[in-house]
Amino acid sequence: MRDNFKIAWRNLWRNRRRTIITSASVFFAVFFAVIMRSYQLGTYDQVITNLIESFSGYIQVQHIEYQDNPLIDNSFEYDEVLSEKISDIDRVTSVTPHLESFALASSGPQTRGVAIVAIDPEKERNFTDPESKLVRYRINKEITEKYDRRDDIPESVKEKLKKNLDRSYSSRARLELEMGLTREESRLYLDDIMRSTAITNGYLSEHDDGVLVSDRLAGYLKAGIGDTVILIGQGYHGSSAAGIFPVRGIIKIPSPDIDNRLIIMTIPAAQKFFGSEGRITSLAINLTGKSKRILKNAKDQINSIIEDGNTVAKTWSELNPVLYQQIQGDNQSGAAMLGMLYFIIFFGIFGTVLMMIAERKREFGVMIAIGMQKKKLKGIITIEMALLGAIGVISGMIASAPVILYFYYFPVVLAGDLGKMMEDYGWDAVMPTAWFGPYFYWQAVIVAIMVSVATLYPRRKIGKLKEIEALRS
Amino acid sequence: MKKSILTVQISALFFLSGPAVAQQLSAIEIVRKADEKFKGEKSGYSVMAMTIIRPSWQRTVEFRSWTLGDDYALTLITAPAREKGQTFLKRENEMWNWNPSINRLIKLPPSMMSQGWMGSDYTNDDILRESSVVNDYHHEMAGEEIIDGKMCYKIRMVVKEDAKVIWGHQVRWIDKNDYLFLKAELYDEDGSLVRTESGSEIRTMDGRTIPTRIELVPAEEPGNKTVVVIKEIKFNIPVQENFFSQQNMKTVK
Repeated sequence: MRDNFKIAWRNLWRNRRRTIITSASVFFAVFFAVIMRSYQLGTYDQVITNLIESFSGYIQVQHIEYQDNPLIDNSFEYDEVLSEKISDIDRVTSVTPHLESFALASSGPQTRGVAIVAIDPEKERNFTDPESKLVRYRINKEITEKYDRRDDIPESVKEKLKKNLDRSYSSRARLELEMGLTREESRLYLDDIMRSTAITNGYLSEHDDGVLVSDRLAGYLKAGIGDTVILIGQGYHGSSAAGIFPVRGIIKIPSPDIDNRLIIMTIPAAQKFFGSEGRITSLAINLTGKSKRILKNAKDQINSIIEDGNTVAKTWSELNPVLYQQIQGDNQSGAAMLGMLYFIIFFGIFGTVLMMIAERKREFGVMIAIGMQKKKLKGIITIEMALLGAIGVISGMIASAPVILYFYYFPVVLAGDLGKMMEDYGWDAVMPTAWFGPYFYWQAVIVAIMVSVATLYPRRKIGKLKEIEALRS
Repeated sequence: MKKSILTVQISALFFLSGPAVAQQLSAIEIVRKADEKFKGEKSGYSVMAMTIIRPSWQRTVEFRSWTLGDDYALTLITAPAREKGQTFLKRENEMWNWNPSINRLIKLPPSMMSQGWMGSDYTNDDILRESSVVNDYHHEMAGEEIIDGKMCYKIRMVVKEDAKVIWGHQVRWIDKNDYLFLKAELYDEDGSLVRTESGSEIRTMDGRTIPTRIELVPAEEPGNKTVVVIKEIKFNIPVQENFFSQQNMKTVK
């Protein structure tokens, strides 16, 4: 065996170029498969994190009927104790209560159906964080006209201001980005523009009786900060709900659909409005991990804490089966792509093996002719192939590791409209790679299997070798 | 020979249709009599409690109501506390709502007509558009049945083609002695039962015998029910048309 190994090793280095070409084909197979998969998984992860963490949470506690029938009647009794108990569960990072329903909002002659989301202003910071979406800067006609009269502002900046008339921004960076100021313009005029477009805006305090109104809705209702809006709707158990609420702040939601119809208030105010004292419609829970096992564990633990039989915890995939299936479907098509890549890679490896056998046919013939057993020759060839494969797989893994690491810490930043949209939602517009996981080793295992399948061919060839023919070739 | 067959046919036609015509007339008469009794006199004042029953909860709304003819009505909610002070005004075919907590007068739009009034099984349309059980239907005697120990006429009423009624047909049971509607089944145009209304606890109030408890059971929502109990009723109160005004909605007690 040792001899066989020694011979195999020497055989490899007898023809360096051939060895390098063969192991390079394995190397690239592993390298690309690992990086491709890492990107796929990393992107899914990013999507899940973005969507779930900022919308539904990984787990939600709801009334049993709420998912099919999202009415305020299907709410449940809530107290801080439950929330604290859930917070104590391993891996739980945030527990956020919500009370959601619908109503008509009216101000003066304007009326529109709106979605009401009642929050705990403090706890919500860890979840959807409405405070970061408050409108801080707004460009109105007065401002563009004022700038138009100034001589110290270049035409290009004036034009950009006019182009962005009536738009509002929740941060300095957004204003700079969306106005499309050049670096030079930003340096000279951004502070100036900030000062003149800044508006005061407020968030909700804990027991606030006011509301935050989404930007487009506020525009439609012609309601500004300090104005009041009237809400009319149906409350708990069909009672009538009506109230007057002062507007504390205007928030900008990137999705126009939501921006047209969102009112945020505190939970106590909403409970009073709907006549549903002590009740909420959901508790959104975020976790540190998102594997199926972690989710199931946390869900089971939460369910064991809840005493009310009509209230249950549901995972995000149960709450949003469409999104879950989309991700699954996308994952499948990613896997299919990877399968095709493997197919091509396999024939690459197989091709080099085929070439090697053809080249060494005469050599094999000589060996057997001078008395080497075919069995021994097969063993040597197998060891050679295993060594080639191992060199390729290990070097492929080693080479891909820094790439994965680099793009994990410094992910590709998405530019253009897609990137802008994601940033609008408050997400990181990046495409990171996934951290090393089972996928990493699995690519290597799959490539190793392909190499061993490719080894079958030379073994068979040696078995059927006719010495005379081989010597003459 | 030919002639005699024709004569027989004609006479048979008369023989068959004759009593039917007589019955139809009497069916209309019965309904008209019951309707007049039910609607009361020219004006009225009543105190009622409406209990909305759902599979998992129930709640009671109390209200006072003034009416003048078919066209004018004013209703003031007196309980529960969070809804107290709300008023509803019906003037001909318009309905208004005054809500003191938001200081707002709202005209109920057509889109809200099919919604339940105060969350009950009565729709706003039920309250607003009382179509005439006499003029909008073809009546037909369907026999006699005993309801709550009282002998009743069972009358099948099919809606007239040009009537603006959401029902297809109704079956009503009218007490033979007092001409009271004791039960009604309302069907949609496809002939399936939508709701059953029944009157019970017949008492004499302000000199008139009326059912004081009216139950409405929607057919397709098991466990749902609305019960209205009349606590006090007065007929022919001195009330004028100007009582039913938007100003009065805000001040009526």
